[in-house]
Amino acid sequence: MQAFVPGIYPRSEALVQSTRDLDRGRTTPEVNDEQVERDLQELISVQQAAEVDLLADGMLRWQDLFRPLVEASAGLEPGPMTRFLDTNTFWFAPKQTGGAPKLEPVGERYIAPLPGARLVTLPSPWAFAMSTELTPKEIAEGVLKPQIDALDAELVVLSEPFLAREERPDLGTLAEALEVLAGGPELAIQFTFGDAKNVLEAGAGDLPVRAVGVDFYATHATDIPEGLGGKRLLAGVIDARSSALEDPEEIAGFVAQLPVDEIALVPNGDLQYVSEQIARQKIQRLGAAKTAQAKEAVA
Amino acid sequence: MTEIRFETREIGSLAKPVWRVKSFAGRPLEDGDIAEAGRWGEKLGVDGHEELVELLGRGDFGDGELAAIDDWSSLYGLRFLEESGLDVVYDGEQRRTEMYDHVIRHAQGFEQRGTVRSFNNKYYSKAAAVDQPSIKGPYDVGEYKFIAERTDKRVKIPFTGPYTMVDWSYDEHYGRTGALGATAEQRADARRRFLLDVAEHVIRPNAAAVVEAGCDWIQIDEPALTTRPDEVKFGVEAFNKSVEGIPSQRRSLHVCFSDYSLLYPHVLELDDCFELQLEFAQRDSRETGTSREERPGYEPLDHFKEHGGPDVGLGVLDIHSDFIETPELVRDRVIYAAELLGPERVQVNPDCGLRTRSWDVAFEKLRNMVEGTRLAEEALNRAHAGAR
Repeated sequence: MQAFVPGIYPRSEALVQSTRDLDRGRTTPEVNDEQVERDLQELISVQQAAEVDLLADGMLRWQDLFRPLVEASAGLEPGPMTRFLDTNTFWFAPKQTGGAPKLEPVGERYIAPLPGARLVTLPSPWAFAMSTELTPKEIAEGVLKPQIDALDAELVVLSEPFLAREERPDLGTLAEALEVLAGGPELAIQFTFGDAKNVLEAGAGDLPVRAVGVDFYATHATDIPEGLGGKRLLAGVIDARSSALEDPEEIAGFVAQLPVDEIALVPNGDLQYVSEQIARQKIQRLGAAKTAQAKEAVA
Repeated sequence: MTEIRFETREIGSLAKPVWRVKSFAGRPLEDGDIAEAGRWGEKLGVDGHEELVELLGRGDFGDGELAAIDDWSSLYGLRFLEESGLDVVYDGEQRRTEMYDHVIRHAQGFEQRGTVRSFNNKYYSKAAAVDQPSIKGPYDVGEYKFIAERTDKRVKIPFTGPYTMVDWSYDEHYGRTGALGATAEQRADARRRFLLDVAEHVIRPNAAAVVEAGCDWIQIDEPALTTRPDEVKFGVEAFNKSVEGIPSQRRSLHVCFSDYSLLYPHVLELDDCFELQLEFAQRDSRETGTSREERPGYEPLDHFKEHGGPDVGLGVLDIHSDFIETPELVRDRVIYAAELLGPERVQVNPDCGLRTRSWDVAFEKLRNMVEGTRLAEEALNRAHAGAR
């Protein structure tokens, strides 16, 4: 059993204020950078204390799941402001401006160095392509593959908030794109914030990735196919959209019933949908759930 | 046929003047901040604005001075909208912290849970329901009375709607237990109970008191209404619960940045809602023209043509951009909608509140909106006269 924290992590109240001040010309980018660094170090400490297995940098500078990659890609630009699922948070949908997109990989400003084995979260090619005329494979080739090739990471979690909501999800085009991304770090596709029943029934367990992520605040345990095609399950057992704090023992009991050999405990999506003071408690409970599960397994 | 005349109005918020923001934050005012109070006071013809300038110049504000600044800010907001030429006015939510926080501050049964990002470096505070929500007493009556006593124009008061309050809050009360692995029905039942309690015990008593004080138009703001398609019906049920038994002449519903196709058929069940104020300009081309191809942002109007239902408060100003819509662009947007739906089903407003724009930009946008509306009226009346 592993545990880790993919996705965008909330900014601390100090960083919220700093970025507000930056927008209003009351502080400098340098001073704001210092606060970003303090937030990052704090997040690392919280993860280490929770004994997560892979560190994450929390994507503290990412304005949304796509923005740095869109801005670093020829042929793409941020498009209309769009509500992110059923949240009160918005993103700027990638918009195609030219031919095939070509990414100049983003560096340490957006993928911060970490003191240990790490994961990196990137958008799924299907989600990225959704608002453009491009195919997921074209996004994989022009944007995601160059970025993944430039990474030093144990695991890349591809965040997919939209596909599971399709009535008849087309896993074929997703699989084709994922093939393009193979050959580097291990890949996971995480179906965030939604009922994964449709994609599981459509064969998500057969996708060319090492792990599949599922939101258990929207998906029934009984919808997980036996063995999940030999994949690791990223079990979304921390509700990133609720301020209520989870009970580690309840989580341990819940995952014990899942019909999969290899499980990693994760939030069901980006923790940025709760405040930082709540998110850090949720990470602590994620770690505690892993410990509780290990004890249960021994017992 | 009677002459076509569209009613112009705002949606809700304006930016707060820097002299107000700094005064309440306890930050020192600079000369330029005070000069802004003088400049706008003069431009808007605010009687006695020199008193405000003098007050701001003294600095070091106690409760009495802050209350006076609060009133001045409301008066400036009111005059701003009057001078823009609008037919229906308000004060731009000058006394309200923010549409969600304003309600939470006056409600019981909620606790703050920190800050969450809206987009980029914009954030909002988010609370959790920890008990059944209620209010101690109405909290917007004073705001209404202050405005009503100082204008001859019609006043419309906005209220953040129950669905938005619920959707933007955490729930630690109704669905607290058994969340991990709960059925969809259990989740839906918890949401609906939360929603109807907010409508009945938070929104309705406040709105009823404002109407009792003389307001004849209440606007329920539901920017979140379509965020969960399967819950739009609950949002409509909650609107009806919010306005139940309130004898206002007009009740309207504002929805923005949403998929309007999801409103149907549910909005046909709204009780006596005469209008939906909607956002379109953000989605539209900035070129003039009245053809379907030239007005792509107004395609959702097809739903309103097909299904009928409430009238449309047509959003013609993009509130997320400093781009100043020309009167001709506004004219063409209004003409397009009027020709599609019939002019009797259309009135004119910005997409949403203008609080993210500077006063200079917002003023110019609103002035052009009014001018463009008059141009549309002229063109349509001319066309109809020619057709007779």
